Amino acid sequence: MTTTTIPTNKAVLSSLLRADFTTQWRNRKSVILILLIPVIILISWKGLVNKLGGAFVLANCITIGLNAIGLMGYSNAIARDRDKGIFQRLRVAPLTAWSIMVSRLTVQLAMILMITTAVFVAGYYADNISLSPAGYALGFVMAFVGGAVYLGLGQAIVGLIKNAETVNAVTRLVYFVFIMVGMFAELGALGDKVGNAVKWSPYGTVKHILSAGMQPATWNQHSTMAMLVTAGYAVVFAGLGIKWFRWSSK
Amino acid sequence: MAIQDPSNTIVLQVEGLHVNYGVFQAVSNVSFDVRAGEIFGLLGPNGAGKTSTLSAVEGLLQPQSGLITVAGYNVKENPLHARANLGVQLQATNFQPELTVAEILQLYAGIHGVALTKEKLQHILVSIKLEDAAKKRFGQLSGGQQQRVSLIIAMIHNPQLVLLDEPTTGLDPQSRRQLWERMEDLRSNNHGILLTTHSMEEAEAVCDRIAIIDHGKIIAIDTPQVLIDKHRNDPEVISVSRKGKITLEDVFIGLTGRTVRS
Repeated sequence: MTTTTIPTNKAVLSSLLRADFTTQWRNRKSVILILLIPVIILISWKGLVNKLGGAFVLANCITIGLNAIGLMGYSNAIARDRDKGIFQRLRVAPLTAWSIMVSRLTVQLAMILMITTAVFVAGYYADNISLSPAGYALGFVMAFVGGAVYLGLGQAIVGLIKNAETVNAVTRLVYFVFIMVGMFAELGALGDKVGNAVKWSPYGTVKHILSAGMQPATWNQHSTMAMLVTAGYAVVFAGLGIKWFRWSSK
Repeated sequence: MAIQDPSNTIVLQVEGLHVNYGVFQAVSNVSFDVRAGEIFGLLGPNGAGKTSTLSAVEGLLQPQSGLITVAGYNVKENPLHARANLGVQLQATNFQPELTVAEILQLYAGIHGVALTKEKLQHILVSIKLEDAAKKRFGQLSGGQQQRVSLIIAMIHNPQLVLLDEPTTGLDPQSRRQLWERMEDLRSNNHGILLTTHSMEEAEAVCDRIAIIDHGKIIAIDTPQVLIDKHRNDPEVISVSRKGKITLEDVFIGLTGRTVRS
């Protein structure tokens, strides 16, 4: 009688992670674009730092970066790999489906870490924005919480739409609407009604918890509510994304 | 429970398989087996139920009923054990286009729990005549080279059963012959092969046994020669014969009809 050896989770995950990080590295042009947009906004807003506050500006730029990671990077990569049958090929190997997604999400967490660090560094050198150690630490924590909202939203879009090209078009549109409406509404350009709606949108709550997290002394009841709403968005989007997701686009 | 792999051991057993998509019955009461050291062809027109049957064997879809075992492991109850004994070559080129050939080999060796040293990797590349392609991206290879990589990946963990889904589609005659030789090598090394193809020439050339599936049901199962002999006098088969000599293609069209399927 023969015995069948099943690879350990550690061996499977390390192989998947190596491949997924290599893939991300080879796509470094799009990674640089994702990094560049928030950094450019950060530098171009130099004159507004005193008026808006350093934490507000940093939070805004990190939110834009998180949007790009979840909506442009993650969702399009998943849609493409599903369309090409890359997931189907992996799923006929002796590994669990969750290990494929854990590897993919780990790469995105690294991206969140990178973009948050890049914004903090650029903010320090370009705009002279510095935070307390607790502010930086909470800034990273809030970036991960906020990132979960956009990764969940990206997952929900990929779950709802099967065609990779349609996913690409929809995520670009959602990204553009979030950024433009979010930024202009927060600056008061779209009136009170839109401004209030944006405040409790995925854009507004993420931006708020980031900003409040970077200045722990300013954390208030509104911040706690924003945190709860953000967590709610993340759970609902991720839940729908998991429920609707199909491994094959056919 | 795992079964040892002497000749004639059943490496794939499909028993009473039913697959439905809503009210549409894609596979109905399909039963067959593949033995070690055998190339078994699953032939059928488009939409006949081949892909659904393969997907059920791969564990990618849940059948409504039926039993599937790979190397003795029930695909439903022990999916990881079943897949560890299964090598799959899919039709499409489904590897990350950003990865090189060496990186793809390392990925698939890793997820199958196979340690791949530099020497072993080089040995594999030499064996498929791609020793200079280690750093090439998969998309930069020719169709024949891609199929060789795809087949070696299906075999990287030395599985008892190999599924080949239309492996010679789009290949030139030289590459196709080379792939047939590789299939025959696998057979002589006691691997069981389940092959789907639209090429009757290929089925006749390499398959030990054939099942013809249509409208989700197996309508004939035997060796190519026995199938030809059994149906050579059928009026439908004679009516489609083109060269006076009855071929497997004549039998196939005679049994499944002349109508083009979408």
